[in-house]
Amino acid sequence: MTGYVVQRLGAVLIILVAMSILVFLATHALPSNAAALILGQYSTPGMQAALEHKLGFDQPLHLQYWHWASQMLQGDMGLSFEMERPVAPMLWDALSRSAVLALSSMAVVSTVGLALGVIAAVWRGRWPDHAASVFTYLGISLPEFYWGLVFILVFGSLLHLLPSSGFVSLSGGVGPFLAHLIMPVATLTLTLLAHVARLTRSSMVEALESMYVRVARARGLPERRVILRHALRNALIPSITVLAQDFGFLIGGIVAVETVFAYPGLGRMLVTALERQDLPVMQAAILVLTAVYCVANLTADLLYAVANPRIRYGGAID
Amino acid sequence: MNAPLLELRNLTIRYRGGERQVTAVHDVSFALAPGGALAIVGESGSGKSSIAGAILDFLGPAAEITGSILFEGENLSALTPVRRRGILGRRIGAVFQDPFTSLNPALRVGRQIAEPMVHHLGLPLAPALRRAEIALQEMGIERVTEVARAFPHQLSGGMKQRALIAAALACQPPLLILDEPTTALDVTVESQILRLLSRLRRDKGTSLLFISHNLGVVRRLCDDVAVMYASQLVEFGDVRRVLERPAHPYSKGLLASRPPLAAATRGSRLAAIAGQLPTSADPDAGCVFAPRCPFHEPPCSAGSQFLTVAADGHRVRCWKADASGHWPRQQVAADLAPSFRRGDALVNVTRLSKTFDSTRGLTSWQLSLSRGRPVLYRNEKRLAAVNDVTFSISPGEVLGLVGESGCGKSTLGRLLLQLLRQSNGSVEFDGADLAHLPAGALSPFRKQAQIVFQNVGSSLNPRLSVGEALERPLSLFKLAKPDARAKRVDALLDMVRLPAYYRKRFPHQLSGGERQRVAIARALATEPRFIVCDEPVSALDVSVQATIVNLLADLRDAFGLSYLFISHDLAVVAQLSDRIAVMYRGRICEIGTAAEVLAPPHHPYTEMLLASATDDEPVSEPAAVTAPASAGSGCVFATRCQHKLGAVCDEMPPPLKTLTASHAIACHLELAPGAWMPGFTDADGERRQSGARDYQPGPAP
Repeated sequence: MTGYVVQRLGAVLIILVAMSILVFLATHALPSNAAALILGQYSTPGMQAALEHKLGFDQPLHLQYWHWASQMLQGDMGLSFEMERPVAPMLWDALSRSAVLALSSMAVVSTVGLALGVIAAVWRGRWPDHAASVFTYLGISLPEFYWGLVFILVFGSLLHLLPSSGFVSLSGGVGPFLAHLIMPVATLTLTLLAHVARLTRSSMVEALESMYVRVARARGLPERRVILRHALRNALIPSITVLAQDFGFLIGGIVAVETVFAYPGLGRMLVTALERQDLPVMQAAILVLTAVYCVANLTADLLYAVANPRIRYGGAID
Repeated sequence: MNAPLLELRNLTIRYRGGERQVTAVHDVSFALAPGGALAIVGESGSGKSSIAGAILDFLGPAAEITGSILFEGENLSALTPVRRRGILGRRIGAVFQDPFTSLNPALRVGRQIAEPMVHHLGLPLAPALRRAEIALQEMGIERVTEVARAFPHQLSGGMKQRALIAAALACQPPLLILDEPTTALDVTVESQILRLLSRLRRDKGTSLLFISHNLGVVRRLCDDVAVMYASQLVEFGDVRRVLERPAHPYSKGLLASRPPLAAATRGSRLAAIAGQLPTSADPDAGCVFAPRCPFHEPPCSAGSQFLTVAADGHRVRCWKADASGHWPRQQVAADLAPSFRRGDALVNVTRLSKTFDSTRGLTSWQLSLSRGRPVLYRNEKRLAAVNDVTFSISPGEVLGLVGESGCGKSTLGRLLLQLLRQSNGSVEFDGADLAHLPAGALSPFRKQAQIVFQNVGSSLNPRLSVGEALERPLSLFKLAKPDARAKRVDALLDMVRLPAYYRKRFPHQLSGGERQRVAIARALATEPRFIVCDEPVSALDVSVQATIVNLLADLRDAFGLSYLFISHDLAVVAQLSDRIAVMYRGRICEIGTAAEVLAPPHHPYTEMLLASATDDEPVSEPAAVTAPASAGSGCVFATRCQHKLGAVCDEMPPPLKTLTASHAIACHLELAPGAWMPGFTDADGERRQSGARDYQPGPAP
């Protein structure tokens, strides 16, 4: 188990370093002149050169990277070109708002997805199975912004039940906070549900037909216990992996959803930074997203080990 | 007579699958007295497991059950699901064939044993877990706390099956249903499990319903036996009566197809039941066994056969049961015993070793916190699967390789074919060292050396028809022009005695025996000189096994093939092999001609294998269920050895003692040729000799 954790941690570290290099290089390869952007259209080449020197853009690439990476590690993400404010506080605010959205979506996706998968497997070939399958496929076959717009149209404009954009922090009251979350979370859930539900269904079907489930039934255990304790326990193992992969899709989905619902999160911040070619914001945001994805996968790997005793306990008893 | 514990009355089970209806069990009735033990015997597809399924209620809605299953006077099929669940686990325990899949891999072993006690007896978890440990102890397991806290993958097959028996008996049910509980286990472990079951029966008075295809196993444990064929009960009676004087031709055939534990001549063949189980027999159109019966006469097909009940309760479904004689034996024109000259070997193996090394990679690092501060250390795991093995196989010779699972026999087979690369030593084929063969020369070698695997279900591609599977090697090795391939495929099918129209079939449409025939035909396609047969008959029923062993013997004689015949069953190996090598933990501990290995003096491990294979009450073995390999450089078998001399066995590698030109034993013991090994004492304190004993059923000696 220790070796396993060390191995996973090492892998995460390598990915982060590689990603930081890629992000750094990609953003430097963008067809723009940072100094010209900052100084505006009336600047002279001489002024641009002076600023480039001040920002260190005339140094060799590896030195620039080293400088940038060490600052990043100290939490200094530089100044936004656009806003001329430090990136870090803006980014942490946006990240925390996105995290609320992402984590509540993940919670809903995993509970609803697992439940749908289990229901479909237990009643396989009958109407609950078909209903679950139609529902999840409908969700995955249309993009986030479509469902987002449909929700806004129905619950916002037509029924006036829910606010169709924006965000209210918890200090503004629990009711408004939740009301602003419901539609974005529902949109994200709908597009992510299919993976988990289908995979849980197939691994549950396999588990329910296994010998150990037959043995559990032959012990006279109630069906509920057979399904939840014996079958689901084993069927969960592959579902954990797919949930971690879904986290990657979720990050992509968040960019779309935050734009549709004008939700002030990291995704929207990233889109704005891309439009304005705000280099420091782009670099920091992409790097943070990579780190989040790595942490999600690491969590999945550890959960995987918890669910699968073959990883935790290697040695045979002789 | 007491009221029976379990009684089946006219039980019929039909499966509806779309338009078709298959009768799995047809009008079966029998009773099991309290404390009794009844065996149901028959080949796969005979309906024996469906009976267990009907009692344990796992057949599902597709099964239509008529007749009644009376347990303790109650008709089980009339009970509500909740009442029924109350009986399962509480009054009826069940153990199934495959201990490797029967335990839930995600739950600790102790939990799984405690679970029925918590559920049925209402015990809190902690005392239930303590009782689970006691139950494990009763099953002959040492270090119970450790085993109870372990997860299933940490246990050996025998320990798993013991844990499953403990779980089935957790609530002390009066009836235990065992569905082929030892089929997936090694002979030595099977022997221990059978001994355990007979002790449980004696001590606790548990009744057993024992389902098996192996008649030898049944004799050790049961009072009565029900023989089933094609959904019908064909014979029922006292186990000794049925095994010694079988009345129904099918029972005779089943008994005769078991290989005797004796060296065979080249001309001898096993008695086999020709043909195969009918897929859906019509009981009204005459005797269901008639198409395969050597005693068949016109009246057999005239109408359905009825069970005749004799005065002693013995029942037979055959009108001429008393009139038919012994099951006919096959014999081919006996060749002269072939003589093999050493020195012109086809396969020459010298000091071959294969070590699997799992020390590479980060996962071998372990963190220890036990000494106050964290210490990162490397967990060295090396497994010498094959350790310093030397032997040769002559052209046309069959070398049998016996040993229990995990002893390295399959690894050895793969090394010979260079499907694995050895760590040390050399394999020569036809004089060429395979390790130094240029890459281009490996293909001609592959053409001459083929393999047949044990698992016929997974070694044939499910999406290729038989014809396509057999054409693959022909095109791969450019052995036949495209237009000649069809003809060659027909010839191959003919060699393994399958009709030509089978070329169109797919693996799932074949029975286990037929699949193995196709696998053999595929190996024959390249006209090889040497075939590694890796447990080719272990997954098959006894009757099918006999036909495959006979086929392999015929092919050997027809084409002068050499085999490395790998099996865990000494009797099967003896049937086919000129010489036998006995393997234990990567080392060959005895090698000699079949007759020499089966006759004393034996290596102590050979002796244990022989004793486990005989029908009688199995030998007592030191309590350690799975002995760890000895740590030192001594004999690998020392920890399980009955005749261990002392420290010398642990410390010194055993010398290879040559008894005759062909017979060698690696052991420290004095081995006088022709003398018995020191005897061993059995449970009754009686000294007994074990060894090559023909246990062919027949009139008592």
